[in-house]
Order: sequence, then C-alpha cells, then structure tokens
Amino acid sequence: MLVLGIDTSSYANAIGVVDDGRVLADFVFETRHESLSKIMLNVDGVLKKANLGLEDIDGFGVGLGPGSWTGIRIGVTVGKIFAYCTGKPVKGISTLEVLAYGARDCQTLICPIVDAGARETIYAAFYRSGNDKVHQVGDYYVGDLPGLAEMIKEPVVLVAADVPKYRNVIGQLLKSNTIEALESAPSGVVVALLAAASLQSGEHDDTLALAPLYLKESTAKAFVNKYLKRNQAAQQG
Amino acid sequence: MLVLGIETSCDETSAALVADGRTVLSNVIANQLELHRKYGGVVPEIAARRHTELIGYVINEALDTGGKNLRDVEAVAVTAKQGLVGSLLVGVAAAKTLSYALRVPLIGVHHIEGHIFANLLSNPDIPLPHVCLTVSGGHTLLVYIRGYCQYELLGGTVDDAAGEAFDKIAKFLDLGFPGGPVIDRLATQGDRKAFNFPRPLSKAKTFYFSFSGLKTAVINAFKNQLASGEALPLEDIAASFQEAVVDVLVAKTMRAARQREVSAVSVTGGVSANRRLREMFTDTCNRGGIKVYFPDLSLCTDNAAMIAAAGHARLMRGQSDDLSLDVIPNVPLEVQHAG
Ligand SMILES: [Zn+2]
Repeated sequence: MLVLGIDTSSYANAIGVVDDGRVLADFVFETRHESLSKIMLNVDGVLKKANLGLEDIDGFGVGLGPGSWTGIRIGVTVGKIFAYCTGKPVKGISTLEVLAYGARDCQTLICPIVDAGARETIYAAFYRSGNDKVHQVGDYYVGDLPGLAEMIKEPVVLVAADVPKYRNVIGQLLKSNTIEALESAPSGVVVALLAAASLQSGEHDDTLALAPLYLKESTAKAFVNKYLKRNQAAQQG
Repeated sequence: MLVLGIETSCDETSAALVADGRTVLSNVIANQLELHRKYGGVVPEIAARRHTELIGYVINEALDTGGKNLRDVEAVAVTAKQGLVGSLLVGVAAAKTLSYALRVPLIGVHHIEGHIFANLLSNPDIPLPHVCLTVSGGHTLLVYIRGYCQYELLGGTVDDAAGEAFDKIAKFLDLGFPGGPVIDRLATQGDRKAFNFPRPLSKAKTFYFSFSGLKTAVINAFKNQLASGEALPLEDIAASFQEAVVDVLVAKTMRAARQREVSAVSVTGGVSANRRLREMFTDTCNRGGIKVYFPDLSLCTDNAAMIAAAGHARLMRGQSDDLSLDVIPNVPLEVQHAG
C-alpha cells in the first residue's frame, strides 16, 4: 500500500512516501513563510523522485498538529482535497505522536513537546512504546513547563525540536538526572508510516470532515480576547 | 468551459460552478455569521478554522447541486488577492490541490475583480466602458472599467469602508452584526431628514471617500440625545446615517460617470443590496440619463460564482497561474491600460 504523508506543522513541508512500511521518499523542505507557495511543487517533486504519479497513491496521511496552525491548515486542506479528488482514504496523525514515534526504542515514558506559540505555553502528551508503536497514555497537555514537570514521576525521554530548552528547565524543576532528551522534528514519512498502519487495518478519517487537532478551545478564545482588547483600545483611542 | 470557483477571503466559505463565464450552475455559500456575531466583527483565527472545516463540504455541495462531478471541471479559479491571510490560504491550498490532481488550469483572482464580475454575471449586456462602485464591509472603491479585465482606479476610502461604517454604527447602537441589513430595516421606519449628518468629501473633486467623521457625528448625536433625556429615535438616526452614506456614494459615482462621459454605472458588493442605495441610484441615474446596474441579490455578498466568472475571463485572455500561487492579503486591483 502506497501512502503519501504530509506535515506542515513546523513551517516546513515535510513529505514522505511509504510502501508497506518501506520508505520510498523522505524530504523536509525548509519553507518558513512560503509553505503555501511551495507545497504542491514539493509534493510533485517528491512523487517524481519516487517515480510515482498521484494516481499510484493508495492513501494519504496528514499531520494534524499541534504546531503552527497556519501551516497545519495548509497541510490538512491539501491532504483532504487530495483524498477527495482521488477517492482514496485519508488518516490524520497527531504531530505529538509523530515526535513520540521517534523515541519508540526507549523503554521509559516518552514525552513529546511542541511550542504553542503563546508565551510559556506548550503542548505535550505522554506515550509508551510497545510492538514498534507508541501508545498515548492520558490526555493531551496544554500549559506551562512547571505544570508538565509536576506530572512527571518517573524516568522520561523528552522529544522536541528545541529539546535542550525543555530538558534544562524540566531537569532543574525535578532536580533529576533521569531525563533523556531527543531532538526530533515533524516528519512526513513518519506521518505516512503511521497513517499506513491505520489505513491497512481499515481505519480512516471522514475525508470532508478532516480538521486540525486543536487541543483546546481556549486557543481560539485567546485570539478572541486579544481581538476584543484591540477593538476596545481602538474604540477608546 | 466549466470553471469551479472558490472564495474564502473573509467569513464566507463558498464554491461555485459557472459554465462559460455566464451560467451559474451552483453557488454554495456557507455563512459564518453566527460564529462572529457575538464579537461584533469577523475574528480572523475563527474564520480560518471554519474555512478549513467547511472547504471540502462546500466544494462537494457545489458539484452536487450543479449536477456535475470532478471530471467535468475544466479550470479552478480562487480568490488569492485581498482579504484575511489565514482565510485566503485555505481556499488557495484547496484550489491548487484541485488544479494539480485534476490537471486543469489554476487562476488566482483579485477579490474586487470578483465583485465587478458579479455585476457582469447578472447583467451580461452592461455597456463598456462604465464606472463601477464596489461597496462592502471591506471596500469602497470607484473603478473605471474600460473593458473586461481592464481597469483604472478612480478612488477609494481613506479610512473606513462604507459597510464598515454601517457595522460600527450598528455595533455602537447595539443593533447587531452585520450592520447593513439591520440599519436598512430600521431606516425604513425612520425620518432620513431628522438629523443632518455630514457628507464627508462629497464636494471634493477627487474620488476619495471618508466615513470616519460621519461615524463620529452619529455617535455624538446619539450621546447628545441621550444626555437631553428625550426619547431615542433610533429609527431616525439609522435613516439619517444611511441617507448620508448613500448620498456620498451616489454623488461621487455620478461625478465619476460625468467626468468619464460614460452612459452606465454599476454598483456591486455587499452594500449594493441596501434598498435605499438602490432607490437613490436608480432615481438619480434616471434623471441624469444614465443606466444603472446591480447584481442579483444572491451575488452581492462574497460568493464563488463571481470568482469563477472573473477567472474564466482571465483564462480566455490567456492568463493563468502556476502551482506556486500565493496569497496577497493587501494589494490594489491590477490596473491594465489598453494600448
Ligand atoms: Zn467582498
């Protein structure tokens, strides 16, 4: 089964193609603010390098975030419309699971962390590995680092793009040396691998309903509050 | 030629099928008003989220109600210029994916050009050249239309858009959002001469508009009324405010029509649905021997049919975009001089 994976949650176009667990293509294009203008050219380039056409693809995987929501909306829209146009299934994958998958060889608790953009706020979750997979334990976490540190009661491996930052802070908070750190970034090929595993067992998302993984409504509310404050200031000024 | 249009520049998620740039087979508009109403305006982050959730459904619905399937689509047109960046990019991402997957041309359209084509869709026999006024919550723009896709900008607003003034006054008077329809409704029961509000820049020789002074005058009148302890004639305030806005819009457009010696004017955009505006334009144009055109009411607010029509016209002139198409949130309408 050929699966195309796309993750745009980090202002990069991360694109991968897998065939039954075999990696055919794995690219991360630094795009910064050119995610939209580059995405289709990059997908086309990756397919051509793998000697494939869109019609060869049997299913799609999409990184749902958390991360840069602007970037994620691009990837989710592209993945959803690809699935719609080709009539092939699509599966959305949590970007935290993608990061955790990078630490699947670790026997300790796995804790991927993504910057939430707003000051001091992070997204995180806990996973354990088993059978070459990672399984989420508990809920997603949205909050500050001290709050996350409080939840850590055992040896842990932190996985993040800017991992030294988190390791130092959490290490100090816990006064513990049972913390490992693994640097990792969102990956299209991991999205494809995880999506392929689901799609092969017949599990997929409703194509038209596919949406980013907004972890907390309060993220939208934070924007709304900012907007209301700005509006009030404008009216008073 | 069957063009699929997509419009997500503000708070409407829309997809449409238009045949040969003339016949609207479907025009699906998912309105987000309910989501934004409590904030008295469009919240960009909420709009972008909603577009992402709705975009697949509206495209599917446009094909269904148009009685076509994906394989029938021969080109995809999308609003790529002018609007909220986070909203625009959802539509453009969808459009370029469709273009790539279906192997059909992609055309990025300027939102204002879409509004101009809303009028051409409703009135195919509209004479050229003519003067077009685009009025909505986001724009107030006078354009001289030399020919299809050949525009000359005559003037725009230096502060608020006309529709924005309606929204702000409605918000101040606590009438709800969007302001245009509520004020239109309330004004029918009011006296338009009760308050003599200023007509900013209406005597100026330029084609620039300004509505923020008028907004302040209305707010002051309201506060004075409140302080005097007399009953608050909200209907009169609404009618007098609306009269001042429409007066300025008509005066400037007529001045432009006379200066350019055209025999016709067109009015388009959300505010062109306003009943008093249509009435005053019709009366004034009749007296001046000038023809006036309005889009069908269904094509006044933001919609994808107008984008498909504009995209079709561009494509017929040999213009299209490649897959690197990006969004430009703030850019004037492209001006092309003939010859
Ligand atoms: Zn508009």
